[in-house]
Amino acid sequence: MAGASEAVPGQAEAHVHHPPYLQHHFVSAEQQFDAAKLGMWIFLATEILLFSGMFVAYAIYRVWHPEVFQAASKLLDWRLGGLNTLVLLASSYTVALAVHYAQLGDQKRLVRNLWLTVVLAGVFMVVKYFEYSEKFHHHIFPGGNYAYEGLQIPYVGQFFSIYFVMTGIHGLHVLVGMGILAWIAMRAQRGHFSPEYYTPVEISALYWHLVDIIWIFLFPLLYLIH
Amino acid sequence: MAHATHHIIPRPLLLKVFLALVALTIITALTGQADLGAFNFMHVPLAIGIAVIKATLVVLFFMGLKYDRPINALAFIIGLLMVGVFLTFTLLDMLYRGDIGNLDAQPIRGPQIEQVEAPSGSP
Repeated sequence: MAGASEAVPGQAEAHVHHPPYLQHHFVSAEQQFDAAKLGMWIFLATEILLFSGMFVAYAIYRVWHPEVFQAASKLLDWRLGGLNTLVLLASSYTVALAVHYAQLGDQKRLVRNLWLTVVLAGVFMVVKYFEYSEKFHHHIFPGGNYAYEGLQIPYVGQFFSIYFVMTGIHGLHVLVGMGILAWIAMRAQRGHFSPEYYTPVEISALYWHLVDIIWIFLFPLLYLIH
Repeated sequence: MAHATHHIIPRPLLLKVFLALVALTIITALTGQADLGAFNFMHVPLAIGIAVIKATLVVLFFMGLKYDRPINALAFIIGLLMVGVFLTFTLLDMLYRGDIGNLDAQPIRGPQIEQVEAPSGSP
């Protein structure tokens, strides 16, 4: 630290108020925040690319067998899918509010909105659990394991391979997001964040919004095929 | 000083965006179920169009990219461009393989060599 302040004498004053959250390889808290955020956006781009592989697989199989997608999609309950869409949108709203209150330094509302987001994510997973168990009950499994008597057409297993893989990996992201947001909520309760330093809140909120965006595309593509 | 450049998105704006997202979800659910008659081919473009609008709202306002440094938008947009390249060229290959040029099971040079050799050998 001493070396840094000697190298930049003009900023000596800033080092007197050196905040504990500022890592020494950053010039300022602002630079640290920007670096963290750019890193997160690059990570989100890789997340989009991860899901894009599945979306391209979806596009190929749908172009090959549109009638299969149409028939198989009817086995999904669009009301549950729609409910989950609203739940995730609400959770995106609450996590955006959490960032808003972190910026204002309103710790009580920050913590409340973070926990609300975790609860809404939990509701999403509970609805997903009921959807999955209902599918398994009817022997609707991915690929060659598909054995539902009510709809026996060629390639129907492919639709459910895509359905279970896409919603499964998305669901995994929801679980990871719940863990991260719960951890951030506990840190917020301990007063780790302030208007000067709320980077972890901002970063995990960005992640959570991406999970929401993926579902925004999954809902019409899987549940609403006319 | 540290947060001088951070834009705090006002609460009423966040609420408006949320309500717009809910409205668009209802619209997509209704149009997804409806029989559009002669416009049934519009189901997929409509569903994807509404999803893109919703995602754009989330990115611009909930994620605050509208008020963020352009470098973050650049990272995001490059990612999207790569998805576009991935999807477009895969679909082009799938739908039009063999339509352009003689990219079929036969060797490309075979017939052309015969055509070239025929005039020189005939007189």
